[in-house]
Amino acid sequence: MDSGIKRISPYKVFSMILLVILALLFAFPLYWIVTGAFKTRAAINATTPDWFPQEWVLDNFKTLFSRQMAPLWELGVPFSSHFTKDGNPIIFTAGPVVPAAIRWLVNTVFMTVMAMILTCITASMAGYVLAKKRFRGKTLLFSLIVCAMALPKQVILIPLIREMSALSLYNTLWAIIFPTVGWPFGVFLMKQFSEGIPGEMLEAARIDGASELKTFTKIVVPMVKPGIGALAIFTFINCWNDYFLQLIMLSSTNKLSIALGIAKLQAENSIDYGLIMAGGTLAAVPIIVVFLVFQKYFTQGITMGAVKG
Amino acid sequence: MAKSANVTDRSRALVIRETRSAYLFLLPSLIFFVGFVIIPMVLCVYTSFFDSTMGKDAKDVFIGFSNYAELWRDPIFIRSLKNTIIIVVVSVPTVCVFSLWVASVVYNLKGPVLSTFRCIFYLPVVTGSVAVAVVWKWMFNNYYGIFNYVGKSIGILDKNINWLGDERFALGCIILILFTTSVGQPIVLYISALGNVDTTLVEAAEVDGANKMQLFWKIKWPLIMPTTLYILVITTINSFQCFALIQLLTSGGPNHSTDTVMYYIYYSAFKLYRYGYANSMGVILAIFIAVLSAVQFKLAKEK
Amino acid sequence: MKKLLALGLSVTMAVSLAACGGDAGKETGGADSGANNNASEPQNTEAAAGNEAADNSAAAGESTAITLWTYPIGNWGDSATVDSIIASFNEAHPEISVTVEYLDYTNGDDQVNTAIEGGQAPDIVMEGPERLVANWGAKGLMVDLSDLFDTTAGGEIYENVAAACKSTDGAYYEYPLCMVAHCMAINKNVFEAADAMQYIDEETHTWTTENFFKAVQAVYDSGVENVGAVYCSGQGGDQGTRALINNLYGGTFTNPEHTAYTADSPENIKALEELYAQDGINFDASIAGGDEITLFRNGTLAMAFCWNAAQQVNADNSAAGTTNNGDTILPMLFPSDDGKAELCGGIWGFGIFNNGDDAKIAAAKTFIDFVCNDETQAKESVKASTYFSVRPTMTGIYDGMEIADTMDEFATYFLPSMGDYYQVVPGWATARTEWWNMLQRIGTGGAPADEVQVFVTNANQAVSEAQ
Repeated sequence: MDSGIKRISPYKVFSMILLVILALLFAFPLYWIVTGAFKTRAAINATTPDWFPQEWVLDNFKTLFSRQMAPLWELGVPFSSHFTKDGNPIIFTAGPVVPAAIRWLVNTVFMTVMAMILTCITASMAGYVLAKKRFRGKTLLFSLIVCAMALPKQVILIPLIREMSALSLYNTLWAIIFPTVGWPFGVFLMKQFSEGIPGEMLEAARIDGASELKTFTKIVVPMVKPGIGALAIFTFINCWNDYFLQLIMLSSTNKLSIALGIAKLQAENSIDYGLIMAGGTLAAVPIIVVFLVFQKYFTQGITMGAVKG
Repeated sequence: MAKSANVTDRSRALVIRETRSAYLFLLPSLIFFVGFVIIPMVLCVYTSFFDSTMGKDAKDVFIGFSNYAELWRDPIFIRSLKNTIIIVVVSVPTVCVFSLWVASVVYNLKGPVLSTFRCIFYLPVVTGSVAVAVVWKWMFNNYYGIFNYVGKSIGILDKNINWLGDERFALGCIILILFTTSVGQPIVLYISALGNVDTTLVEAAEVDGANKMQLFWKIKWPLIMPTTLYILVITTINSFQCFALIQLLTSGGPNHSTDTVMYYIYYSAFKLYRYGYANSMGVILAIFIAVLSAVQFKLAKEK
Repeated sequence: MKKLLALGLSVTMAVSLAACGGDAGKETGGADSGANNNASEPQNTEAAAGNEAADNSAAAGESTAITLWTYPIGNWGDSATVDSIIASFNEAHPEISVTVEYLDYTNGDDQVNTAIEGGQAPDIVMEGPERLVANWGAKGLMVDLSDLFDTTAGGEIYENVAAACKSTDGAYYEYPLCMVAHCMAINKNVFEAADAMQYIDEETHTWTTENFFKAVQAVYDSGVENVGAVYCSGQGGDQGTRALINNLYGGTFTNPEHTAYTADSPENIKALEELYAQDGINFDASIAGGDEITLFRNGTLAMAFCWNAAQQVNADNSAAGTTNNGDTILPMLFPSDDGKAELCGGIWGFGIFNNGDDAKIAAAKTFIDFVCNDETQAKESVKASTYFSVRPTMTGIYDGMEIADTMDEFATYFLPSMGDYYQVVPGWATARTEWWNMLQRIGTGGAPADEVQVFVTNANQAVSEAQ
């Protein structure tokens, strides 16, 4: 027996085969979305499925894009609707008119990125203090954070709507962004990362006379950078997929997220699956591309979040 | 005496200064946390003691614990609680075992192969719950879904099954979809955890004549225990939060067989207009989850 | 404390907005097309004042923005059609800009309800009395539209239609535009192939209960596995299942006074039992009315219970009156044992949410008045719905159009069979929900006699709670 050659056990072979089959099954829904988007109506409704589109058509996308239109973006003066005579907000710039589905993508990107930035800033500040400072109420605050971390948003659905309405934020993207930023997981994660900062470094900075803010930006932030990266990715995925919050907070066509837009599409067209898959493709492909490009960071971020969380 | 008093004074001043600067740093985060989590939570508890509904003239009537008392007599709530627990109890262990198995098969493969597998299993997570839900709805379709076609052509089924419209299968279907969207993260985590297991330990054990099983249970399992705990926590939370799938696929039906507490809250609020009642459900659930996560957190601390 | 916090929040937010350029604020004019933005520019013209219904003159002359949410009522769910209606409205009333949102029957109610809770209810909503009167009206959210009924055109509305728009407190919460009698339809080619046309009176579109079951059996025996589906995944299109069950053996849904549900009568129980036992009829908890129509159109089902004139003339996917593969669709009255089917009516019109702004309410009334009462516009508005006018004086709407014959046929054979409009019972929203839940329970093997009992108990409880 040659010990130099690794023996391949039957278990290994079996499990590899099984794994490949499973991987195909896992990839199948995505394949089905993308191919479904290009199928003809007849192929979609056939009882014998069309495993690979025999005829590729763009009809579904044409229908999707001609349904509703919206300006690509609108930047307005906050709360201006309260002051104008006709109750419309003052819009100082509006983009060219595009299919509403494109606007939904813009909305989704906007709220995801915004939530990501805000979460990273606020959470890294709070996490640092919770890890490295001693102050009154710390234990209480930390327990609150831990308890609230797992809280599903559905629980506070009605008060949240009423609050957003009182703040005139209902049916704006901020109604999605703010509760996402408020979710305390980020603070918890950044606390765990900040624990690793050596106390001596902070002490040294203090003796050098650096202000708290300076200490934070010059010493803490560079040291927790990997944590911020992980948090950014976490927030990104969470916000992108937070269908529930979007469902209860957004109502007008101009404000929908892509996920919500697809859900509406499905409700309106019941089982016109070709059209729905076109929407699904539009929703899924951009984020999958982002994922594939930044794959390394995604996996790193997830792993680090877990190690520290 | 005087000296020690001075020290306490000074340290107290220090504590106050520290506290002040600490809260300044906490302020941005606290605004969001208090404003959009704590205050709604308090309001939620408050309203749960009222008979609150929609309408201009509708005044909230204080009814004490009646909402809570009613919960335990409401068969739909009990059923949705049961369903929620079934989802958690079924999906959490299967997700853990499955992802550990996948990770153990792939973790020492070559780089590109490994990352391909990792990608594929992570795809349903990034695809987004809505896109995933609509495609599964199509695949489960009673009349021209792919499941019925495949089932019939390979002879498992002799007639179409109305997967999402049949009480016997609907919850299972939901759990299956939830499963596919849940395993991505655990697999990534297990791969990295197994990759980090110290090879010298493993080799030493092999020299000592440990077999595969012993190797796994005695060496690797304890080392990946923290990862397992973390996975348990996130999968539990994930399973509790399952909403989009239910709203989009079954709306809780048929006959409330896929109602979860999450969905029933939404249903009570916006189909039955019972805000106080929905809130009381929310409070119960929040307590449930808070206790659970506190326990899990404690466990993790001890490890 | 909360106010203080809210203030603090607003300040932070304003800062963050200034920093990153946000898009907060309410709706802006462009939900349907950019063209609307032009219309929302303040254009103070003096022409607008002459309006009989909107007598609040404070609003006239100033620009007002209102929102209109429509359910998919014929082409009122289609943005091109609605845009042209709004364009003609703006020719007459340039001072009022209208933003439209399109709702669907699956999530539309939730959407309106969350918007009400979020303080952003639309100004105008287009739907039927079951929502406008029995639900939102009964909750005190709507504006009384009695003054619209005092107009000349308003006085011409069929009495029973106007009665359906009137709430128990005497206020009118809906101003109706159009109506239809909901019916069912069969795939004629499939029926012919199964030799089932012998059970149907094709001329009058009627059949008896006995013949209905014979026909279903014949079609099933000819190899069609799914003849019809008692759909019950949600409330969408539930008028079809209600009408089918009530008509089979002459049951009723409520008492004549509309104060209690009577669905537990032996007639209804028998109907449910027979339907459940019938081959080819499935209680399908995975689809709602809209899905059923799609399945019928693509040939999966041989009959549809969720049908009406608009469906018959719909030519989105194939020529009007045919399925996707060209089979002829024959609209039918629901089968009944006494030969007198009572069809469920649909009445659609507009309601105004009371958002506390008199100018907007006045503008909304101006809009409704224009759309429903203006001599030339009213016909176009009804035409857009592909239903029938609620005023007997308005005739010849479809003259000269391809669909004129079909519409005439519906007017002759279906409209007269319109039954009692019972959808205005207090607590109707709950009863609807209970109805499809009940069908789901029966579909999964529940005994009809027990399940209707549960339905009636819960629904009647909702009635007493709502009063």
